[in-house]
Amino acid sequence: MTDHIDPDDCGCSEYRELSRRQFVGEAAGISGAVAAAAVFPEWLPRIVLAESFAGERDVIVSIFQRGGADGLNLCVPFGDPGYYTGRTSLAIPGPDASAPANQKVTALDNFFGFAPAMTPLIPAFASGNLLVMHATGQSYVSRSHFDAQRFMEVGKPADVTLVTGWLGRHLSLVPPLRSDAPLRALGLANGLQKSLVGAPKTLPIANPANFSIGGAANTQAARQAVISADYAAASAPLNTSALDAINTIALLQAVDFNGYAPMNGAAYPNTSFGRALKSVATLIQADIGIEAAQVDIGGWDTHAAQGGVTGALSTLTDNFAASLAAFHADIVATNARVTVVVISEFGRNVRENGSQGTDHGRATTMFAMGQGIAGGRVLVNSWPGLAIENLEKSQDLKVTLDYRDVLAEIVQNRLGNTQIDQVFPGWNATFRGVTL
Amino acid sequence: MQTTARDVDSPGDIPHDAPHVAPAEAPAHRPTATRRGFLSRALAGAAVAVGGPAAAHAQGRRPRRSRAEAVAEELASGGFASVVAAPGEWASATTRLVRRATLGLRNADVAAAKAQGYQVWLQSQLDYQRIDTATLDAQVAALWPLLSQDVNTLFSQQQNVVRTSLQSAWIHRAVLSPRQLYERMVEFWTDHFNIEIAKVGYLKVVDDRDVIRKHALGKFPALLKASAKSPAMLAYLDQTVSRVGAPNQNYARELLELHTVGVDNGYTQDDVAELSRVLTGWTIQGRGNFVFNPALHDWGQKVVMGVTIPAGSPSLGAAGIAEGEQLVDMLAAHPNTARFIATKLLKWFITPEPSAGQVSAIASVFRVTGGDMKLVVRAVLNSGWVATAPAKFKRPFHLLVSALRGSNALVTNAAVINPQLVVLGQPLYVWETPDGYPDLLEYWAGNLMPRWQFASTVANLRSSSITVDSAPYLTGTPDAAIDLIDTNFFGGEMGLATRTVLLDYLKAGTFNDQRVRDVLSLAIASESYQWY
Repeated sequence: MTDHIDPDDCGCSEYRELSRRQFVGEAAGISGAVAAAAVFPEWLPRIVLAESFAGERDVIVSIFQRGGADGLNLCVPFGDPGYYTGRTSLAIPGPDASAPANQKVTALDNFFGFAPAMTPLIPAFASGNLLVMHATGQSYVSRSHFDAQRFMEVGKPADVTLVTGWLGRHLSLVPPLRSDAPLRALGLANGLQKSLVGAPKTLPIANPANFSIGGAANTQAARQAVISADYAAASAPLNTSALDAINTIALLQAVDFNGYAPMNGAAYPNTSFGRALKSVATLIQADIGIEAAQVDIGGWDTHAAQGGVTGALSTLTDNFAASLAAFHADIVATNARVTVVVISEFGRNVRENGSQGTDHGRATTMFAMGQGIAGGRVLVNSWPGLAIENLEKSQDLKVTLDYRDVLAEIVQNRLGNTQIDQVFPGWNATFRGVTL
Repeated sequence: MQTTARDVDSPGDIPHDAPHVAPAEAPAHRPTATRRGFLSRALAGAAVAVGGPAAAHAQGRRPRRSRAEAVAEELASGGFASVVAAPGEWASATTRLVRRATLGLRNADVAAAKAQGYQVWLQSQLDYQRIDTATLDAQVAALWPLLSQDVNTLFSQQQNVVRTSLQSAWIHRAVLSPRQLYERMVEFWTDHFNIEIAKVGYLKVVDDRDVIRKHALGKFPALLKASAKSPAMLAYLDQTVSRVGAPNQNYARELLELHTVGVDNGYTQDDVAELSRVLTGWTIQGRGNFVFNPALHDWGQKVVMGVTIPAGSPSLGAAGIAEGEQLVDMLAAHPNTARFIATKLLKWFITPEPSAGQVSAIASVFRVTGGDMKLVVRAVLNSGWVATAPAKFKRPFHLLVSALRGSNALVTNAAVINPQLVVLGQPLYVWETPDGYPDLLEYWAGNLMPRWQFASTVANLRSSSITVDSAPYLTGTPDAAIDLIDTNFFGGEMGLATRTVLLDYLKAGTFNDQRVRDVLSLAIASESYQWY
């Protein structure tokens, strides 16, 4: 359920104060005063100085909560009595309960509030950068993780023939942020996530800090040179593909991931999700042309013993919220051109099951974060209500806000792509005021 | 390698060592291909090197373009030729055959094939039942006992254990089995009748055992019927939720489009709808046994591709299965099916762009022999075509298995290498769409870095379950070590450029275990080793 904690990772507190780009130069043994472009090998097209569309489009960080996140226990509808009827042992007491502040809901408005484990995100919410959305999801009804995740990432429900993902199609429709960037997007995973399939110059890179051909360290450079020369003599498409890979190695190796100093004292949890977001932050700060990153956080399939104020879901949620809060302080608060979006394939039943858990449901929460996001509030299209007669099949929160409306608005207004009918085929999006 | 767009054969040629058959009548040429071929450039586990107009795949419509059109589009947009000529060094037709008929050259196999001769070795591979695998079978049974369990026991197994067992066992067999051509056909049919294991779980174990492996070199009609009654297939393509009044068309559509006649090749959308009615009642019961359920069956009159199924009656009960069986038999014997399978097999074994003549020739063999795969594959792998075939790009599974075979790795349990296929982009049994993993250079070419990483990994394997031994390379001179790499990995046909690069690297440092492993990794990572 919870993330593996790596005790060898020393955490985030001891880094030197560095200017935004300085760490790039440090990695290559060059004074931080030198512009980042100068540290790249001569043969690398002058990436940092190349034409840039930065300033016109946001970098997007897409996060998927895999397993079906229990939105009712992330952003609690404490104003709906049906919540407390359905959740006999798992409910989180409302803000007016006589419990200590860290054992009850922190109100976001007079109806919704954060569970205690979500409170690391209060500053982001208060700053107006974090938008919480509820009763969201997809129109396609599937209680299979496999189908629900797939169609959500593909961006078209029930189309078994569409293979490309919504983010992949978006990237294929817009020019690169930097024309010479060898890497436009990455998935922080071993295999490319479905959302990114179809994206040009995009790789699955589980750990960007360790992107190398492997083998003995002392001969790595020599072997890489041999491979590079070997493939340079190949015919298309292997020659260009190899060049992109070699350039990406050089690019990522020029970035000093270990020396990265987050802004504003942000502390990323030492979990796989926290480390992944920190890597993404490093890449954004390095300003090397990354336009999109897909990051996953698993463990949301809480069928048994999920807990309430404390317990398994709470621990996972704290990891999620603290990581996102660090990313907010480090990146979102300081960079107007970054948008984060969080989705999950479905929510959980309103009524808890006999194992103190919850089974696969329908609607759940969604989150968007950025200076261009109309945050600081909980957005619902219309709250369907948790009384049993208002539930889908008498058991689930209904979907009243299609996730594609949210993503389409972000794609058009923040990612500068008006072809949203191609990013979400067959969907006539309604903008819901997600962006400013 | 040089690229060429020419056909490898002129239309109308019959393979000279194929069974004698009448030339095919000439049905109108139709585009045959994977329906998503045109997506390939933009797809990936992968960065794709070639940019270009992206709108083509961004349409939400069900794609209906042929691969031929897609390739033409790619070329027109400044892409690349997808037919890559084989290197000049590939002089031996027999070694070429071993490249195509195995999952990677191994010195012992090349030597055996050359000693026996092309035809004898090919026939021995086709007669796979005569190749003893008792030791290997026992090893697999001991390592992954759940794979021989029935559905009632498999049901209780953890899904990820089932998946990794099935994946690891296939890698183990692919590396070690002397039935190499058979394993190539298992690979072919696993894609042709693709099933995503995440959706069906343990049922895929039964499908692999009782459908794919049972019929991989058998008769196509029996294979098709077994697949049509495979609980995994019926669950995967939603046949299990289809019933009278609410037929689900998913399986019926793919049965036509992907399993038999090919996309838009002699049927209409009405035929899909009618076939889905015929197949109502084909479902599974219990933990996963096929059953025809008369209560779910649509007994009304149906017309599928000109075949009329008269209205029946629920009183016929279990006999209603005959309607679907009649259609499956009709499809197995349909001339368009012969052409479709022939085209795919030619692409699998010979060339990304088979000529019309090659397709007609193989389709004829398919029809005349009633889809006898031993005879069909024998015809495809005729020496004339194999000797002149262009190079094919190894998919990740092929690369992984070939590297372990070439390095003569001591493999006692392949499970340890299985996770590499995730990184390489081809984890077994997890392709989602029913068309199976693509077999296209342009799909796989974008993700090279994991191949280089894998090369380093495999060359340095010294675990208790897989060991690559560097000692044989260290017994003589560096030149002799390169000769041995040539013999083991390249069938003695390593190109001069590769040899020079490897020898220079080997001589640039101390001639020791690590240097040799470095060179092994460079051989596996080399551009020339990505082709077969």
